[in-house]
Amino acid sequence: MKIEINTKNKDFLVTLFKEYYFKNIGLLSPPIQMHNREFGFMTFDGRVIRHLTFSKIGSLKAYIIQNVPSDIFCSNAYYQFPTFPINEKRWRGADMIFDIDLNDLTLPCANEHTFYICSNCGVVSRDLINLCHECHSTKILKNTIPCFRCINSLKKETKNLIEFLKKDFGIQEQNLEISFSGNTGFHVVVFQNNYLLLDSKSRSDIVGYLMGKNLSPESLGVRNDKRGYRIKIPLSGYSYGWRKRIVQKMKIPEVSNDQLNKFIKKMGGYQSFKNEIDKIAYELGLKIDPQVTTDIHRIFRMVGSLNGKSGLSKIVCNDLDKFDPMNDSCFFEDDRNVDISMNIPLKFSIKGKKYTLDKSISTVPISVAVFLISKRLANIVNSSS
Amino acid sequence: MSIILGKDDLAKYPFLEEAGTYIRESHFDLDDFNRSEFLHIIERATKRIEFALIQGKVFIDLEKYDIELFTFLVSLIMMKYIGEDSAIKKFSLLEAIRVERFLISDLLQEKDLRKKNLIISKIFRELFQLDVELDAKNKNLFKMNISDYLQRATPFNEVEWKLINRAVDNGYVYLDGDETVRLIRYEIYTLMYNRIKNMNITKIPEQIKLHATLVKNKLTPSIKYARRISDLPPCIKKALELLNKSENLPHSARFMLATYMLSIGKSVDEVVLLFQNAPDFNEKITRYQVEHLAGKKGSHTKYTVPSCCKLVNENLCYATIDCKGITNPIQFGRKK
Ligand code: SF4
Ligand SMILES: [Zn+2]
Ligand SMILES: [Zn+2]
Repeated sequence: MKIEINTKNKDFLVTLFKEYYFKNIGLLSPPIQMHNREFGFMTFDGRVIRHLTFSKIGSLKAYIIQNVPSDIFCSNAYYQFPTFPINEKRWRGADMIFDIDLNDLTLPCANEHTFYICSNCGVVSRDLINLCHECHSTKILKNTIPCFRCINSLKKETKNLIEFLKKDFGIQEQNLEISFSGNTGFHVVVFQNNYLLLDSKSRSDIVGYLMGKNLSPESLGVRNDKRGYRIKIPLSGYSYGWRKRIVQKMKIPEVSNDQLNKFIKKMGGYQSFKNEIDKIAYELGLKIDPQVTTDIHRIFRMVGSLNGKSGLSKIVCNDLDKFDPMNDSCFFEDDRNVDISMNIPLKFSIKGKKYTLDKSISTVPISVAVFLISKRLANIVNSSS
Repeated sequence: MSIILGKDDLAKYPFLEEAGTYIRESHFDLDDFNRSEFLHIIERATKRIEFALIQGKVFIDLEKYDIELFTFLVSLIMMKYIGEDSAIKKFSLLEAIRVERFLISDLLQEKDLRKKNLIISKIFRELFQLDVELDAKNKNLFKMNISDYLQRATPFNEVEWKLINRAVDNGYVYLDGDETVRLIRYEIYTLMYNRIKNMNITKIPEQIKLHATLVKNKLTPSIKYARRISDLPPCIKKALELLNKSENLPHSARFMLATYMLSIGKSVDEVVLLFQNAPDFNEKITRYQVEHLAGKKGSHTKYTVPSCCKLVNENLCYATIDCKGITNPIQFGRKK
């Protein structure tokens, strides 16, 4: 959801976004088969413009510098006619995309740094509200500033995903791209040929696999039976995929009829065994956004572009462990200061510097101002210094 | 030395390229079918079609390859002549199941690995562009690309076909012989169907026409479901309509349809065949379930057709003015 932004803030961001693209246009790397992609933009007024095409990176860059959108997207799909309406585009495949976002991780620290902002009057609350207590508007925007624990959890989840993709799906390193979304998540894109033509239903099956959904005891050779259960060791054994994960987690070393039987007996039968499988599958399953992966017509944030919700860049992470979003994806130069007024007192750090800002007017470097204004936590007071 | 498919294999898989070559090289002319030496072939083909269309059973008899090849050819020509789409579909499906049975036993029982690989390459690779490989360790285990698997398995709704319930490793799905073959049923079916549909024969031999006409005459009343489709209650009509569009019916609708058909005197075989268009059709399972409903299995209780009231609750009722005054679909059309 995009909310309206006051003119002063908007003018400030437009000027700086424009400057960013002017100086860092090289970060914007063209997607493979650029001429078969659909491009889309979000304007600072919250309008979405879709179904555009650019056959050369040069013309895309020119468009961006001229129009300064708040967000830039490019389809994961390849189309014969990218500018036609959805049903006439002639779909020719789509990269497989994954979104790992704080929203899906539900971490305990979330409420320490989540804000609810009235999109009408800009009042910020740390408590969940459905109605603004100042102006009674119901347009409430949720916003979060990930802490280091959040970032670590996101990285861990991303690594788990990469492991699944490599081990189970045979996806090669060079066909994978991991990037920071610019706000509260990581994106993984797979461009391996044999997966590009999969339809939405197949992708949904893959999502189910990754999330650990619908794993049945039958697939481990345990069948429900009138007298309890029956065991038939599957021909394909236990050394692959989920079966391997489950027997490892249950600590069944050599899986044989006897071993399994003993184990299930000890647990208390078929139903308890099934419950245990469900539990493990949930634990080991990934927390990803299923809608993103099953959408084969999505327009997805472009690498190198600014995320309008944070003013940070979506950027490829070559070394996930070392990657520090608040540093490595902030490209605004702090060559001057501006005055901002905070909507809420806030402690945070960016570009290696800690800030403690109270509700009065503060003079801060450009990077801080862009970040906080994009997050709707501050307003520009004066940008002419 | 490269090995080639033996004649016994062609007998089982008469749709392969090599079978066509054999027929062409035998300098055979379609008119020869009017000669008395070929009558037994035409009769055998007739039997094969009647098996499929009337009894709803797979013809499992396997003869010497020359007999098989010609029987297959004649069956297709007869089906072309019969021409009714629902009949061609039914025949194609039962032929596909026949092929499936041979394939499964070949994949499981063939000891000669080169031979096994050859069958895989001829049928899976050449005919359907599906790369299936033997597992390096276990020669009764097969593997295919995850995406090839997904394309074929996602129409099945049972949870066992979900990727998560499969042995998945390094981009491959591991399957046993039955499962591998089950995945291409639809492709074999389509192959048969298209063979018949696309056949272009200017002059069908009289003998074949004659036999085909006889089959067709026997066929008409029983292949059409009820007395007349317009006599069926709207709920049943709707369910049949969905089935024919290969849509997935909820369990409650299948139950209604099966009990209704049994109650108006359809045989178990006929009811099983009704479900052949279901995307997850499994003959064995469906047969078991229908026999159960008919009271032939398990508790020996015969299940009755659910009441209109129940069907309304299950959103299966599509009542029209003709439903006035009835409380169970079986009363439809009886009271007037
Ligand atoms: S009223 Fe009864 S017979 Fe008529 S459609 Fe509804 S359920 Fe079927
Ligand atoms: Zn408000
Ligand atoms: Zn946190």
